[in-house]
Amino acid sequence: MRALVLFCCLTPLNLQAHYIPSSDTPLTVNASLVATYHSENQIDEYAYWQIPGTMMGGDAWPVEEGLQLDEVKLGLAVRADEQIYAIFEAGTHASGSDDHQGVSLEHAYLGYVCCQQDGPWVMEAGRMSALFSPDLSQHASERLTSEASLMSDVFFGRNFHDEGIRFMWHTETWIAGAEGWKGKAFPATASGTNAWDVFARYSVKTGNIRVSAGLWWYQSSAESRIDHRYGGGHQHTPVGPPGTTISPFPDTRFTGDTDIYGLHAELVYPGEQNIWKAGIKTELMDMQAAGQLQDDLGRVADVEARQMGLSIQPYVSWREHTFGLRAEWLSTDNQVTGAAANQLSGDAGLGNPEGFEPAKYTAIWKWQFRRNLALRTELIQDESLPDEQFRFAFGVIWQQTLWPFNGAGHSH
Amino acid sequence: MRSKLRHTLLLVVLLNSVLLSGCLPESRTRIDDQGARVSAFEWNIPDSIPLPRVPEDNPMTEQKFQLGRHLFYDTRLSTNGTVSCATCHHQEKAFSDGLVRPTGATGDVHPRNSQSLVNIAWYQSLTWGNPALGAIEQQIMLPLFGDNPVEHGIDEGNFEQILRSIQQDQRYAELFREAYPEQEDPLLGDQAWDNALKAIASFVRGLVSFNSAFDRAELSEAAKRGERLFNGERLECFHCHAGYNFTDATIDRETTFAQLDFHNTGLYNIDGLGAYPEPNTGRYEVSGLPEHMGQFRAPSLRNVALTAPYNHDGSVATLEEVIRNYANGGRLISSGEHSGDGRISPLKDGFIVSFQISEDEINDLVAFLESLTDKEFISNPRFSNPWTESAQEIF
Repeated sequence: MRALVLFCCLTPLNLQAHYIPSSDTPLTVNASLVATYHSENQIDEYAYWQIPGTMMGGDAWPVEEGLQLDEVKLGLAVRADEQIYAIFEAGTHASGSDDHQGVSLEHAYLGYVCCQQDGPWVMEAGRMSALFSPDLSQHASERLTSEASLMSDVFFGRNFHDEGIRFMWHTETWIAGAEGWKGKAFPATASGTNAWDVFARYSVKTGNIRVSAGLWWYQSSAESRIDHRYGGGHQHTPVGPPGTTISPFPDTRFTGDTDIYGLHAELVYPGEQNIWKAGIKTELMDMQAAGQLQDDLGRVADVEARQMGLSIQPYVSWREHTFGLRAEWLSTDNQVTGAAANQLSGDAGLGNPEGFEPAKYTAIWKWQFRRNLALRTELIQDESLPDEQFRFAFGVIWQQTLWPFNGAGHSH
Repeated sequence: MRSKLRHTLLLVVLLNSVLLSGCLPESRTRIDDQGARVSAFEWNIPDSIPLPRVPEDNPMTEQKFQLGRHLFYDTRLSTNGTVSCATCHHQEKAFSDGLVRPTGATGDVHPRNSQSLVNIAWYQSLTWGNPALGAIEQQIMLPLFGDNPVEHGIDEGNFEQILRSIQQDQRYAELFREAYPEQEDPLLGDQAWDNALKAIASFVRGLVSFNSAFDRAELSEAAKRGERLFNGERLECFHCHAGYNFTDATIDRETTFAQLDFHNTGLYNIDGLGAYPEPNTGRYEVSGLPEHMGQFRAPSLRNVALTAPYNHDGSVATLEEVIRNYANGGRLISSGEHSGDGRISPLKDGFIVSFQISEDEINDLVAFLESLTDKEFISNPRFSNPWTESAQEIF
């Protein structure tokens, strides 16, 4: 019911990182860098980040105290001819340890458009980000907040880059498409049998108000999925300083199916003469997973999980300043059955005996003091773990089109 | 008018958002372990340890445990009244005997080192080299009735006499009656032997040890350093000595699939092809498969500091020596009938690779292994000889 109300009443326009280069500018080079200072470690230095009641993974690393590179990206877009283009993007994301921080090829795909310069039909294939969820597809330089949402962290392991193929149809008001994936991105595994999604989004401008709303459905399967942040084949004790006792990370794996659907909306109200504007955006995700947990000691338990997340973000912009709030909530409803249910539910992160309700609230002030340079200050009340935390963050965002200086393209 | 409408719409959106946030379902995780943590027997183990599997035809009871304890320490259960189970399994040595190899009632020397009896309820297989022997009730028959080698030496010629001595003991009459109240005469004939075996198995199954400094998280600084070495990639100890019982041969009520691994640690290589000296050839004795030559089950490391000498034949005197053998990637025996270079055995387990380790690190690792000693276990009167006067006063 809540979902329906959301779909009907909220609205939106969400600019995503998807880009079709124009034939007028055959070559485009973009770069971005986001560095943020965080006042606190989200968790103890030698602990594992695990939101109670969830199975995490992917690149969902906890915030670390001090200056952290949230994102470094260098993108290249080439319009080869009237129909064909290619996108390449290399980058890094914030990671929990030096072992996991490295440059990776996030985008390397070919696109084919029919029947005009920008479509309406588009086919893309290669390594790319998913387009179905506005929340998931945004990087730290594109979000109002430096930190990813709880929903993205829990349901998709923060980032979604995979090899796949996308068919899309788009007009001035509609975007609809389907994506099929190899299954390398959490929550799928490459050995699983499927990973795909469908999505649709409608955008309209009524008077001054711009409204968009959309829905999507993602389905995947996983086979013996491990939380690769800390595990992956061996049980190890991380090396801490003398006097530090560290528990080995449990080698617990999930085999089964995951279905996630999402609803999102954004409403933007530009004020007079574009001096100020106000908006609100929201996204709801509903995840259902069913399968088995197992570990290397031969323990097995059946699991059925339904987990939901909601993010609401109102904001107001005045000249170069944007003030926003983001509120996020998660709910987790899990059933674990089997002789090893106690042990495996705890090891997998699904244990939640106290009925803990994760939440996070962020207040943001972003100052675009140069065309390509912005400063961002955030106050974060983090209630995603039983030990609540208040922290602040201060960061700088640089985004620039390096070539050409006045490039043009088509973004979604 | 239009402007007012827009502002109203914005307000509605905001209000909806706030209301919706309160409508998410309540979080909860429901656990149904299907009775895996329910037992009528008091195991005295931490909540973190899963209950062991118990045969359906021999459920654990305190009465059987106590009867089994009396039988375990009773030398009447041997051909000449000289040997009991406790002869080779001393409580103060975590129910090992401190000998290289034990001697039976008639003088036969056992080819294998006496294993400690610690948490064997959680063992998937019970002997050094037989993967098929997983029931304690079956294993007990070997020392009692086996003839190669003779241990207790009970056979067709003496078992009736031994049974009579048990039947005539008024204390046993009471213990058997309490242990098997549903039987009219639990000390009658073959049923008495079956009852005795099940009772001894119940006692042995109830020898549990989970109260070491490691369990209490009271490790010394040296032991903590040793723990990191133990769980590290360099030494790889944790692969074979895995989990809460420090062996990869662990099974419990929560285990659905269990893979039983045996390991050749490069202790011998008498023919250059990886052969171990007869009759101690491990799993090969049972399977006859060449690739199983020298494969033995990884013992639990709980109380390992008390159970010297080490390895299946007691041929390694100290923990330090065990570690050095692993550091060398096997053992070189340069002279004698068992000479050979185990380091180049083609049958060695993949985890037995040489590694660099300093003397300080060896000491740290030994400190960690010593932290697995459960002092309460080796002094617990519940597990002690009930035939002594002090024990009879307690129980």
